[in-house]
Amino acid sequence: MTWLRVLFSRLAGRGRTPAELAEEMAAHRASLAAEYERRGMTAEAAHAEARRQFAGATQVRELYYEQRRIPLLDNLARDIVYALRQLRASPGFAFAAVLTLALGLGANLAIYRVLDAVLFRELPVRDPGGLVQIQLLEGSDPQRVSYPLFRELAARQQVLDSLFAVSDVGLPAPDGGRGFMVSGAYFRTLGIPAQIGRVFTEDDDRPGAQPVAVLSDSYWTREYARSTSAIGRTLQLNGARAAIIGVAPAGFFGETPGAARDFWVPMSLQPAITPGDRINGAAYSWLSMIGRLRPGVAARQAEAALDPLFREFAHLTVTRFGRDYRVRVAPANRGIGDLDRRFERPLWLLMGMAGLVLVMLCSNLANLLLGRAAVRTHEIGVRLALGAGRWRILRQLLTESLVLCAAGIALAFPLGSRGASALAALASVGTGLRLEAGWHEAIFALAAALACTCMFGLAPAFAATRVDVHSALQSQHRTTAGARRRHFANALVIAQISLSLVLICGAALFARSLWNLRHQDFGMSRDALLVDIPLELTPQAIAHQGALVWPLYERMNLLPGVRSAAVSAFGPMSSLLRTVGISTPERAAQRTDVTRLVCVSPGFFETMGIPMAAGRGITAEDRAGAAPVVVLNQGAARALFGAGSAIGRFVSQKDRYAARDAMQVIGVARDVRFSSAREPFGFVLYVPIAQSPAPVTGIVLRPAGNPAQAAAAARAAVKSVDPNLKIGAIRNYAEAFEGGLGNDKLLAAIAGTFGLLALALCYIGVYGVLSYAVERRTHEIGIRIALGAGRAGIYRMVLGEVSLLMAASLLVGGAGAVAATRALRGMLFGFAAADYTLPLLAAVLLGSAAFAASYLPARRASRLDPVDALRQD
Amino acid sequence: MDNRSEVPYGTLDLMVLKTLDTLGTLHGYGIARRIEQVAEGALELNQGTIYPALLRLEQKGWITSHWGASDNNRRARFYTITRAGRKQLAAEAENWSRTVAMMARMLEGES
Repeated sequence: MTWLRVLFSRLAGRGRTPAELAEEMAAHRASLAAEYERRGMTAEAAHAEARRQFAGATQVRELYYEQRRIPLLDNLARDIVYALRQLRASPGFAFAAVLTLALGLGANLAIYRVLDAVLFRELPVRDPGGLVQIQLLEGSDPQRVSYPLFRELAARQQVLDSLFAVSDVGLPAPDGGRGFMVSGAYFRTLGIPAQIGRVFTEDDDRPGAQPVAVLSDSYWTREYARSTSAIGRTLQLNGARAAIIGVAPAGFFGETPGAARDFWVPMSLQPAITPGDRINGAAYSWLSMIGRLRPGVAARQAEAALDPLFREFAHLTVTRFGRDYRVRVAPANRGIGDLDRRFERPLWLLMGMAGLVLVMLCSNLANLLLGRAAVRTHEIGVRLALGAGRWRILRQLLTESLVLCAAGIALAFPLGSRGASALAALASVGTGLRLEAGWHEAIFALAAALACTCMFGLAPAFAATRVDVHSALQSQHRTTAGARRRHFANALVIAQISLSLVLICGAALFARSLWNLRHQDFGMSRDALLVDIPLELTPQAIAHQGALVWPLYERMNLLPGVRSAAVSAFGPMSSLLRTVGISTPERAAQRTDVTRLVCVSPGFFETMGIPMAAGRGITAEDRAGAAPVVVLNQGAARALFGAGSAIGRFVSQKDRYAARDAMQVIGVARDVRFSSAREPFGFVLYVPIAQSPAPVTGIVLRPAGNPAQAAAAARAAVKSVDPNLKIGAIRNYAEAFEGGLGNDKLLAAIAGTFGLLALALCYIGVYGVLSYAVERRTHEIGIRIALGAGRAGIYRMVLGEVSLLMAASLLVGGAGAVAATRALRGMLFGFAAADYTLPLLAAVLLGSAAFAASYLPARRASRLDPVDALRQD
Repeated sequence: MDNRSEVPYGTLDLMVLKTLDTLGTLHGYGIARRIEQVAEGALELNQGTIYPALLRLEQKGWITSHWGASDNNRRARFYTITRAGRKQLAAEAENWSRTVAMMARMLEGES
């Protein structure tokens, strides 16, 4: 271990400074001289003798110096200083290189950080690796379970240390916070202690226990200003007053990434705060289960042990006869929810695009460096001639790249942080995501930076040092290494243009897909105003908003500036969705049916602008007590009644047809985009709200004049009917629809940015390589002109070179673009199967850009003065 | 003919250690003088070369040093052998004696 100590003491700079050494040696010489004097020499002779004895002081100092240092580090430091000096000599190049690297690396870091937070980060809880989700699969679809089933499983299972259930139904607090019900073992299983107060346990989750709540750190900060006096205050939750007993630690957002919780209450409170008794009722499937495996128990074993338990108690949850059920134990180290599934594809895609951009940037830089190497041929030739090793010069050139990259990555980190936040906001990935740098990211950044350095630094450095000393010294411009270097530069440009083509094609596809989404046939007019009325799922709220249906309907229809108005429950763009089964005498409900029930007042279809394909809409005649009627959408009518007319036929809102609750079809409405851009239309049942009473969740208005005035009037009118009723957004359908395009907008925006960047880089790349080629061939072009070549001929020559480059790149890039188009098809909207128009257009665009870039160098070549050109050597 | 020989490679460290072991704390000049005295003129020592040796030994942790005042009242650096240095000295000395004995046997046998 002695070498370690030596290394350490050298790193620590132990030992004397040169000044101290000089002092020490001077003292030595003085002693020596004094000794000689004592022996009888003159003072002068004594000093001379002492110096002789102490020969080679400089050599000693050198030796000493070598020993104090670590030569490799020393050389590195010298290389870095030299590299900085070189870069300072060409600030334009340094600035451009660092900036492009910072942008490229920053984009990669930003996307990686979001990717890491969404796909890789484990829950911030104790030993997340031990957490598993216990799912009940119907076929392959996970189902929610009822509380009674959970209770039996939790009490009887032998394979889990503990098991808890969570609901994702939010409980609104008066101040706007949203709490969630979790069973008593929640905090114990996750290993989350309270930062102040205490967390609740199974004891707080017994029937009759004192109602309690635990706050999240962010909610505590937001609503209670981190005051410890929050403990002991109460939260009013519908029928219950829960005492705040503690605050969860900072950074703990719950078990569902992207959906941060404000507070948690024990599940036993449920009957007091939401409708129905779900604690004892088996008819509600509303829970997800998470547990911690006992040490040594594998997921498979747990499944095998839980399966018979489930079969024994299956009657305690909603199961459908004849379906096939089984238990799955899946890892829950990253929590539950669908955040990762929703964002996995777009994020990987963006990561891939950012990677391509980085590769392009690097090849661009490599080209710039090649240009610099050409300029420095003479310098490098001199250094080689003076005896510098090729490896030594190579190392020096690579150090220069490394310095550029280090500066780039230093700038990339803050850019990446901002970018990640912007990206998360743009994609609305949800709340509570921890977008912070972790060691994952540090490794990623380091790897990316090193890869970049190698990509753009290595090849130019090799090319620069592959110099024939003799010719390098003779000429500043022409070297034998030139041809090889030019081939390399051409290869780089081909790579750049090909990658650009893929990126631009991707950008065009996503932009077009977004356009298609926005301009599709919605089946209805999109300028009706939608007034969203949020509904809390409490018995009181449901009854209250049920009673408001007719007062609101009448008041709205009297508004000046409103041509017509209607109210609805579970209507378009409502966050609430009610699904039912639908059957006819001939056809029972099928598993694949998705049937939406919408309760509407008279005038709904006219106001929404939904045309009737057949029959009539719902009118005031369809009142309570009259014959029950229904309007189907085209999809439902076609599926239930085939080509035959649906009008006059009967359907039942049950899985199996029953004549006693049959409704007669009076109309067929056109298929409309109900709430989401790309979902299949599915089945929609419109029933008169008079016959199927429901709480009002939305008002639709067709304004006669200015929509903003109509919106203001509507808001005032709602307040005049019930001053306490909450009003959500008032917007037209087109605006409401935009909200659902998050992923598409994200992809279009980022792909578009990358595409533009690629186009710019491509332009710069072509310009750079041609300029270099023209400069290199100045002599030759001069001769050609002198021998009578016309300007047009020179143009043709340069452009011919570009055409060759373009042909090669479009061939390679075109294949890539077609492959990308195929791979992306699943994420695009509104493209025919073999629609390659956009790749073609991208190629044309890129081709024009390349020829535009070649104009200046070509002109320069054609205007060369042959006399100057020939003199230049 | 000059029968003074140069310091054999690798032995200077051992000489310095032995000197410090025998005489205790010394400055560079003292060490050089002592080595010359012991060699009784049989050794050509460039006195400067002991400084890199001293640094080397110190970096290895075999000696320590501190500033003090020399006989003629100049600031000088004083060196002391450490426990690790003594251990190293013992090992090296043993090694050296074995080499010398071996060399002696070999040369006797040749002549």
